[in-house]
Amino acid sequence: MKPAAFDYVRAESVAHAVDTLAGAGGDGKIIAGGQSLMPMMNFRLVKPSVLVDINAIAGLDRVERDDSRLRIGALVRHFMTARDPIIARHAPVVSEAMKHVAHLTVRNRGTFCGSVCHADPAAEMPMMTVLLDGRIHAVSSRGTRTIPVLDFFAGSLVTTLEPDELVAAIDLATIPEGMGYGFHEFARRHGDYALAAAAALMRREDGRVKDIRIAVMGVGEMPSRIAAAEDQLEGTELTDKAVGRAVAALRAAISPGSDLNASADYRRHLAGALAGRAIRDAWSRAKEAVPA
Amino acid sequence: MSQVDASVELRPKLVGARVKRTEDPRLLSGNGRYVDDMTPKGTLHVALRRSDQPHAMIRAIDLGDVFDVPGVVAVFDATDLEGDLTPAIPTSKMKNYYATPIWPLARGKVRYVGEPVVAVVAESRYAAEDALEHITIDYEPLPFAIRQVDAVAPDAPLLHEEAGTNVIISREFQRGEVDEVFAQAPVTVRARFRMTRKTAVAMETRSYLAEWDRRKRALTLHSSTNIPGIIRDVLSGCLDLPGNRMRVVAPDVGGSFGGKGSLYHEELLVCVLARRLDRPVKFVSDRLEDLTATSQAFDELMDAELAVDEEGRLLGLRADVIGDIGAYSIYPWTGALEPVQVVSFLPGPYRMAAYHGRIRGVLTPKPPTGPYRGVGRPASTFAMERLIDMAARKLGLDPAEMRRRNLVNAEEFPYRTGSGIIWDRSAFQECLQAACDCADYPALLRERDEARNQGRWVGIGFASYAELTGIGSRIAVAPGMPINTGIETAKITIDATGAVTADFGISSHGQGLETTLAQVIADELGCRMEDIEVRHGDSALVPMGTGTYASRSAVLAGGAATKSSHVVKAKVLKAAAHLMKVPVEDLEASQGIVRSRSSNRSLNFKEIAHAVYAQMGRIPHDQREDLVAMESYDPYFGTACSSTHLAMVEIDPETYGVTVKRFVVAEDCGRIINPMIVDGQVQGAVAQGIGAALLEEVVHDDDGQCVTASLADYLVPVASVIPTIGIVHVEAELPGTIGGFRGMGEGGTIGAPAAIANAVSDALSPLGIEIDTLPVTPDRIFRLVEAARAANPTERTTA
Repeated sequence: MKPAAFDYVRAESVAHAVDTLAGAGGDGKIIAGGQSLMPMMNFRLVKPSVLVDINAIAGLDRVERDDSRLRIGALVRHFMTARDPIIARHAPVVSEAMKHVAHLTVRNRGTFCGSVCHADPAAEMPMMTVLLDGRIHAVSSRGTRTIPVLDFFAGSLVTTLEPDELVAAIDLATIPEGMGYGFHEFARRHGDYALAAAAALMRREDGRVKDIRIAVMGVGEMPSRIAAAEDQLEGTELTDKAVGRAVAALRAAISPGSDLNASADYRRHLAGALAGRAIRDAWSRAKEAVPA
Repeated sequence: MSQVDASVELRPKLVGARVKRTEDPRLLSGNGRYVDDMTPKGTLHVALRRSDQPHAMIRAIDLGDVFDVPGVVAVFDATDLEGDLTPAIPTSKMKNYYATPIWPLARGKVRYVGEPVVAVVAESRYAAEDALEHITIDYEPLPFAIRQVDAVAPDAPLLHEEAGTNVIISREFQRGEVDEVFAQAPVTVRARFRMTRKTAVAMETRSYLAEWDRRKRALTLHSSTNIPGIIRDVLSGCLDLPGNRMRVVAPDVGGSFGGKGSLYHEELLVCVLARRLDRPVKFVSDRLEDLTATSQAFDELMDAELAVDEEGRLLGLRADVIGDIGAYSIYPWTGALEPVQVVSFLPGPYRMAAYHGRIRGVLTPKPPTGPYRGVGRPASTFAMERLIDMAARKLGLDPAEMRRRNLVNAEEFPYRTGSGIIWDRSAFQECLQAACDCADYPALLRERDEARNQGRWVGIGFASYAELTGIGSRIAVAPGMPINTGIETAKITIDATGAVTADFGISSHGQGLETTLAQVIADELGCRMEDIEVRHGDSALVPMGTGTYASRSAVLAGGAATKSSHVVKAKVLKAAAHLMKVPVEDLEASQGIVRSRSSNRSLNFKEIAHAVYAQMGRIPHDQREDLVAMESYDPYFGTACSSTHLAMVEIDPETYGVTVKRFVVAEDCGRIINPMIVDGQVQGAVAQGIGAALLEEVVHDDDGQCVTASLADYLVPVASVIPTIGIVHVEAELPGTIGGFRGMGEGGTIGAPAAIANAVSDALSPLGIEIDTLPVTPDRIFRLVEAARAANPTERTTA
């Protein structure tokens, strides 16, 4: 479990980093926290010719809010995301999800953007990016582009990021005042990759569900929103029956795989159960909109 | 000796005190010294190309341009090493047994995924691993049977043709007319239990460093083993080196849990290569290798059936067990160690007349099974304790009461079980009672029932068991094994400075034996604990020592230390008597000071040692003796250790996640040397048992590949899954061992899986579910619940 030989460049700036990447001819890798990359290199599943270390680049470790968006820089570690007061206030569902992320040593190094780039289908941050209409800010020596999340994930551990691109930041929608949220995850041990997780957002208007969003992870190639389940609830009263219909629709809409830890049938069952809980939590946290 | 013992009751005792571990300052401050901390000048590093085939002929090995990789020194396969050693043979006197030879590298064919085939030796491990990518092995795949039920079939493909069968171990135990008992029994319960394959996962992976001393033509192996003496003895034969030129040293060792308690291919390999290349050679297993090529455990299918009468009294037990022992019989224990103990311990701590247990150990293309904390008993206790609960449920009897009626009572000891094990006096009944008292069992039942009324899935489970510990020379740890594991030696020396050095054949690898043995010696020799240096884990220390395993070291090494201490103490007092000119009977020793009772005179050990060794004429020349003794201790039969575990679990009725809410252990380990260390051993072993019950499973797929080859897939217990564990020490009448010690390092792993299986079954009892496979994972519970609901759609359930 020793990596193959590689060159190492400590980038001084984003420009330096992307120029180095460009020079690697598609064979370079960005390293920030290294919590997914290093194990893959040690297993020799990835053999980059050069590692471009961005840890010394100033200014990438910030969480900022701009109107209705939160911007999370490339060096924002998991522990920073979990504790950040701006995130806690404007996207509390992210704070809630972060409680399930890994263990202390991983949280101290791993980054939000790195997790999204790794695109593990059972990781929380990719799912949050889907749930909150994230946009990925990619930089290369060719210029910059903003990739909507729906165009970013292309499969399990696969994204549309080009080999010469660096993700400098990801921005997420904030959650409006009064919107309720719920997040439930189940893993074999706390901090492990989830067997499944579900998140829900909604507002209450005239005692009915409004602007509902339901997302799941661990039950497909990538995290996704489940429109069929959302449709069951939008505009309805949140009765047990309605939740049951949404859960049934969600279970019908997903096609999880079987692996060592969970069969497809169990995962389908589990995702439904977790979604039911997330929906109820979101409802109980949602505040009835007060007419202006 | 009797003179020495006269003052026993007057001394302040260290035995029984919560003394902090003397090992910890170095281990916890990063000053431990493990094999991988040693890299002598010129060390070469080994990386292994391991088989990716479960069963295949090696047609050809193409090294390609491997020598173009900078730093590569040499490459070896089995054919290159033929003349360098003879194989290790795990012999046994068992009938119908075939001993599979153990070589450093696969010869001719491979028999499991992970078996070493080619060794690359290079200036660094990086270079060695780079080189592996250049090697191509041409295999001719052979048919194989990966599951034990298939491998036992008469027409199954043979793994070792020379054996003529895959079933290389078969034994039966019988007492009474079991079939008649079953034919007439009012109540019977049966199931096919499965204890899946596990592996030990020590924090330090297996590590070996061999150094050839050209000048002395001597070899030293530094090994992360817990059996250095056994390894020295076998290597001496394999490498044709006498014991005074073949030394095995286990420095600080980061846990074993059984996984480092056997001979490994790589130990043979580094020794052969160091001698051949005349340079130090090191191999450090990485985690992938640890999970795929360290000895594994359990993997039994147990068809077991219990007969009881209407009052719940046990009438008879019969069991047919197939143990999947993997591809080789391990040295020195053989593949019989684990499965034979399952059937010999299956009758448990219970009174029962009739028993028939049959075991077959079958070869499959998987890593060999070997010792694992608890050996056999975690599986046997799981099956038996499940049967007890199933019978209790059928009878409508409380499971505690069911056990109370059947556990061997105080007046029945010594009790001989159906398999021939003899239980000496131990607190069987008292532990059950103590566990119930500690947990407030009636309150716990009320709590469970209230939770059930709210629709929660809560259950309580017991496990009672007994085990043999500190086994002497009368009983082989593994059947028919040619090694005497029943003796340990202690050599105690007071040197010219008055310092005490105690040398042992045991090999502490986390148990805190440096502390506990020093406690015993301080009491028995009358010296200060801080003056004692306990040395262990080095084959050069005593003529023969087998190591630390099988809950033996406190009993055997503690006994040997006591005997040697008494001899040395007698010499100290005799010398002091000359020096003080008083009768020896007038003297007593405590805390390093010898005092005369009749006068106020005293001398400390340093003064006495100085007089004995350095000062001419102080002691009459024909009376002078070195302050040294080397005594050994053989408890002959050994002693029982017993316990009851009680677990309360809650299952989430939607996710099927299991949470252990309460856990209580009541155990009888005789006289306790250090309660803090005993508590730590219980807690660690229970955690390991919870892992076995809920998380851990080595999985080989139908292609023979290990699919749990990282710690993301082989799930060990972490702090968040372990509850606070209540521990009650029950001390029944002390056993006949020196000091009254019983072994206790393994028990937690024996009781916890069964207790949790029973608690989960209790929680699921409204659905009629009985757990028969461990670990009981959320996915397994899901399938059981779905099946139960499909079978009985009207059953009232909550989820």
